[in-house]
Amino acid sequence: MTSAEAPGPRDVALVAFAQTDHRRSTAESSEVELLMPVLHDVLAQTGLRTADIGFTCSGSSDYLAGRAFSFTLALDGVGAWPPISESHVEMDGAWALYEAWTKLLTEDADTALVYSYGKCSPGSVRDVLTRQLDPYYVAPLWPDAVALAALQAQALIDAGHTDERALAAIGARSRADATANPHAQLKGRVPQGEHVVRPLRTGDCPPVGDGAAAVILAAGERARRLCARPAWIRGIDHRTEAHSLGVRDLTDSPSTRLAAERAGAFERPVDIAELHAPFSSQEVVLRRALRLDDSVCVNPSGGALAANPVMAAGLIRIGEAAARIHRGTCDRALAHATSGPCLQQNLVAVLEGDPR
Amino acid sequence: MPEVLKAPLVVEFPFTRSLGPVQSAFLTGLRERVVLGVRTTDGRVLVPPVEYDPVTAEEIDELVEVAPTGTVTTWAWNPAPRRGQPLATPFAWVLVRLDGADTALLHALDAPGPDAVRTGMRVRVRWAAERSGAITDIACFAPYDGGPDRPTGHGRAFPDAVTGIVVPARLDYTYSPGRAQSDYIHALAERRTVGERCPSCRKVYVPPRGACPTCGIATAEQVEVGPRGTVTTFCIVNIKAKNLDVEVPYVYAHIALDGADLALHARIGGVPYDQVRMGLRVEPVWTEGARYPDHYRPTGEPDAAYETYKELL
Repeated sequence: MTSAEAPGPRDVALVAFAQTDHRRSTAESSEVELLMPVLHDVLAQTGLRTADIGFTCSGSSDYLAGRAFSFTLALDGVGAWPPISESHVEMDGAWALYEAWTKLLTEDADTALVYSYGKCSPGSVRDVLTRQLDPYYVAPLWPDAVALAALQAQALIDAGHTDERALAAIGARSRADATANPHAQLKGRVPQGEHVVRPLRTGDCPPVGDGAAAVILAAGERARRLCARPAWIRGIDHRTEAHSLGVRDLTDSPSTRLAAERAGAFERPVDIAELHAPFSSQEVVLRRALRLDDSVCVNPSGGALAANPVMAAGLIRIGEAAARIHRGTCDRALAHATSGPCLQQNLVAVLEGDPR
Repeated sequence: MPEVLKAPLVVEFPFTRSLGPVQSAFLTGLRERVVLGVRTTDGRVLVPPVEYDPVTAEEIDELVEVAPTGTVTTWAWNPAPRRGQPLATPFAWVLVRLDGADTALLHALDAPGPDAVRTGMRVRVRWAAERSGAITDIACFAPYDGGPDRPTGHGRAFPDAVTGIVVPARLDYTYSPGRAQSDYIHALAERRTVGERCPSCRKVYVPPRGACPTCGIATAEQVEVGPRGTVTTFCIVNIKAKNLDVEVPYVYAHIALDGADLALHARIGGVPYDQVRMGLRVEPVWTEGARYPDHYRPTGEPDAAYETYKELL
């Protein structure tokens, strides 16, 4: 799993990344119309055609837009004829990337296309996300996504790990950094606002919006031919916690810590970390779990507080980290993705560029 | 660009779920105003109880009654309750560790305002007047000034245990079909059928979805097709669907409209069901005020040769 093991599995890298501009609504586009430009973008970056791709994997949720089997319609944008080797996860695209990475490790494929999209605008994402909760004891109470995050935030405040002022600073820093991100939805000075669910205010919550992202993975020498500076996946792992909120210590994220250990994140310091923390309070939990101090640049893209297309925002964290390695502004990066309420499931990837 | 089409879309369904033995005992207990937990292999008491140990995954089934009183472990003030939530007036979401339990239960706390709520405060279950064996048998929690309430002493054996729950779910959307399908629907309103041509393989897709599924590229060139077409294949429907005002048997067919490279499907009328055949030439029948053809009927032309539609089955 880590670079320390020998004989190691083949090296796999992200060689291209693209994302849409994230917007409050894309009512003028269907999912496939939203997605196609980023698919074409990553193919153009590498010069590959669909027929050259060994494996295709996507992540999305039909519940977001209320459109059954939207992921099969989205395949129209790939060009799946003659039949391609393809898979889908009803999760963030980061988990689709994990599946593609394992596929490349098995040497069944040398290249993979991974994409995800989230169209939150047709529905009420706060309420839609209640449908992923325990259907016996929790979902019948309709606790929305902000409410559950607020319970976690209050636990952090009670434990002395943060306060409302520190939380506001996380939102402000994220939106300030997002001014350098042309794709971000919410950037610059944004009022902290009223309590949505106390202690979380508007500024502690992610914007609701639509967007899509795509990456291409390639193995070994193929990666070097497709990209001047591939972002090698040195380790990647994902872990989950008990689904009952009352069983967990909401102030900690042992699953993130374990995934990071297994991905080799603690072997050497990273230059940047892209953390998938849709709520400001979740960044507090993740920084502690990942032992990130102020020397690490966290979420230079603005993170999910600046753009949160659900099901794509985690993949975008990995893509943003990889893009910095591609551009040569970073040598070793950590990327994190989350799924479920209060950071229930967590994925950590460590990416590196070749020495310069 | 024509206006973006929008329509309300409600996705609503009752989930019918069966219960495991521990869930059944817990929810039956709530119906009887008794809270039951389950003991894990390391001796902790989980409330709400689960069928398997969350750490070791071992099957667990030793039920333990806990008190209907407890302590708030974290809370969040909800100033604007949403549909389906336990209270219609502002309330606090709380995780409550009931006296005798080692884990916390999520529910609502009825309190006058956020200043009346704090972590560590004591609360007591307020039972719903009508109970059926569901988590909502707890109406909410209420502030409580006192020590642990005495358990009732009831064991697990409630008669007439609940074995399942029915949980209604409803989500509201504003549906937009996107650019290509909006164009298609706008044209239908003028009783025209339009497809889109792939710039690469030149195939015309009806209805258009904005992309060529073979080439994976955007389609944009609009092509009017039909109105006449050819039945490429069909089936005879013998079972009447609910709320459908059509007599059975009737024929449902794939129809390749003239100029289209993809067959759409529709009902065939104006001809006895047993006279419909592959190659039959048909045309749309519109009814007043309809936004799409009611059905297709024979044109009276000679049948199309198989060679002309064999790729469109």
